[in-house]
Amino acid sequence: MQRNPVPVQLDESSCHRQSAVDHFYMNTNPTEYAHPEALVGTDWLEQHLNDGDIRIVESNEDILLYDTGHIPGAVHIDWRADLQDPVIRDYIAPDKFAELCSRNGIGPETTCVFYGDKANWWACYALWAFRLFGHKNVKILNGGRDKWKAENRPTTRDVPKYPATEYPVPAKRMDKEIRAFVDEALAQSHAKKPLIDVRSPGEFKGEITHMAEYPQEGVLRGGHIPGAKSVPWKTATKEDNTFKSAAELAKIYFEGAGVKPEVDTVVYCRIGERSSHTWFVLTYLLGLDNVRNYDGSWTEWGNKVGAPIEKGA
Amino acid sequence: MYPEKLQNIIELFETLPEVERRETLVAYSDSAPKQEPRPNEKFDLEDVRKDEECADKVGVYLLVDDKGRAHVRMTLGPEVQTLTRAMSSILCKGLDGATPQEILDLPSDFVTRIVGAELVRVRSQTTYYVLTRIKGICKVYLDRQRATEVRLQA
Repeated sequence: MQRNPVPVQLDESSCHRQSAVDHFYMNTNPTEYAHPEALVGTDWLEQHLNDGDIRIVESNEDILLYDTGHIPGAVHIDWRADLQDPVIRDYIAPDKFAELCSRNGIGPETTCVFYGDKANWWACYALWAFRLFGHKNVKILNGGRDKWKAENRPTTRDVPKYPATEYPVPAKRMDKEIRAFVDEALAQSHAKKPLIDVRSPGEFKGEITHMAEYPQEGVLRGGHIPGAKSVPWKTATKEDNTFKSAAELAKIYFEGAGVKPEVDTVVYCRIGERSSHTWFVLTYLLGLDNVRNYDGSWTEWGNKVGAPIEKGA
Repeated sequence: MYPEKLQNIIELFETLPEVERRETLVAYSDSAPKQEPRPNEKFDLEDVRKDEECADKVGVYLLVDDKGRAHVRMTLGPEVQTLTRAMSSILCKGLDGATPQEILDLPSDFVTRIVGAELVRVRSQTTYYVLTRIKGICKVYLDRQRATEVRLQA
């Protein structure tokens, strides 16, 4: 499948990274991330809390966690209330995205630094959703909320107010570029192209029909999309929730999972949040420009009439 | 229909606009440590475990006084979600003084009246989990009490 490459360029500094990306394609044993500017550390962020061209965005699974205290100046974006259409299982329309950005003081050139709970699952999900609408300047706080709190860095309950911005309505959503739908996931399976299942091994094997600790989210059938490789999302992180090195990630995904820079890859989980984490790793840390997130994931596939499954390792 | 203290809490939440509802839930979450067992308290039953439904360990402690009134204390691991902490605090306060049977008979439909439909969703269902745990310990208490009564009558 020929597709337009995703413009992963993040800001002006990333222009200088292009040679590293080129080098990456020739070398699947990289010594540094393809887009190191897509990550910021806790030290860096604490020193840039008041930068006017940055907006810190918290996105969590725990829907009241932001209210209990957040990084000073951070705004809250709720993965469901803010990013998902209330009626259709889909993301908001481009005009709603423009409104969301405007009311959070985010302009089209603002650099959004995402962070959150659960090792940045929802931060990566929000970042991916921002990329769906073409927002260019996006970064992740490496280690997320847990690392910030563990280091006793400042938090506040004050909710910031920013002047509304003029955010132009995006011309389109980049569904074709970075999102896969069920038919495309099936085509990926038929073509024997890389499909990465980032759920837990038990979910992948079909031993359980829900994620551990979420038994209320069961589906009709357990297993995985035929041909998918199991690479749980957590494989990409260290104990402190920061990302593993480029060399380690390359070994995991290129050597271990059969991902190839020249072949497009689809990632999935249950509802698209854990796979957003892996999408971020493959796109920004390993520099692939042809990775799509199948956000319908197992809650769609595992319930869908006519969808084939495989069980076992 | 509900114990009086819980009824008062439900009615309070139903009057709150969304922003204040969230603030009040966070305040209840903040006060969750006050619902932990106090020094030298002795309980009729203690049930501390990590279930699949919840992100961390939850302890439920039941004391039934000589008037048959239940007093519930809870301990929550650090990974327990904010909404679940809030509901634990609300239930410990709202059910204090109810009988174990009243707690067991409690319908769960009040949860959405407190939390609001917007916050009850996928990934926040553990709001119901703490109620289930409290009912569970009350059921064990009542079963044991009945078993004791049967033995005494035999």
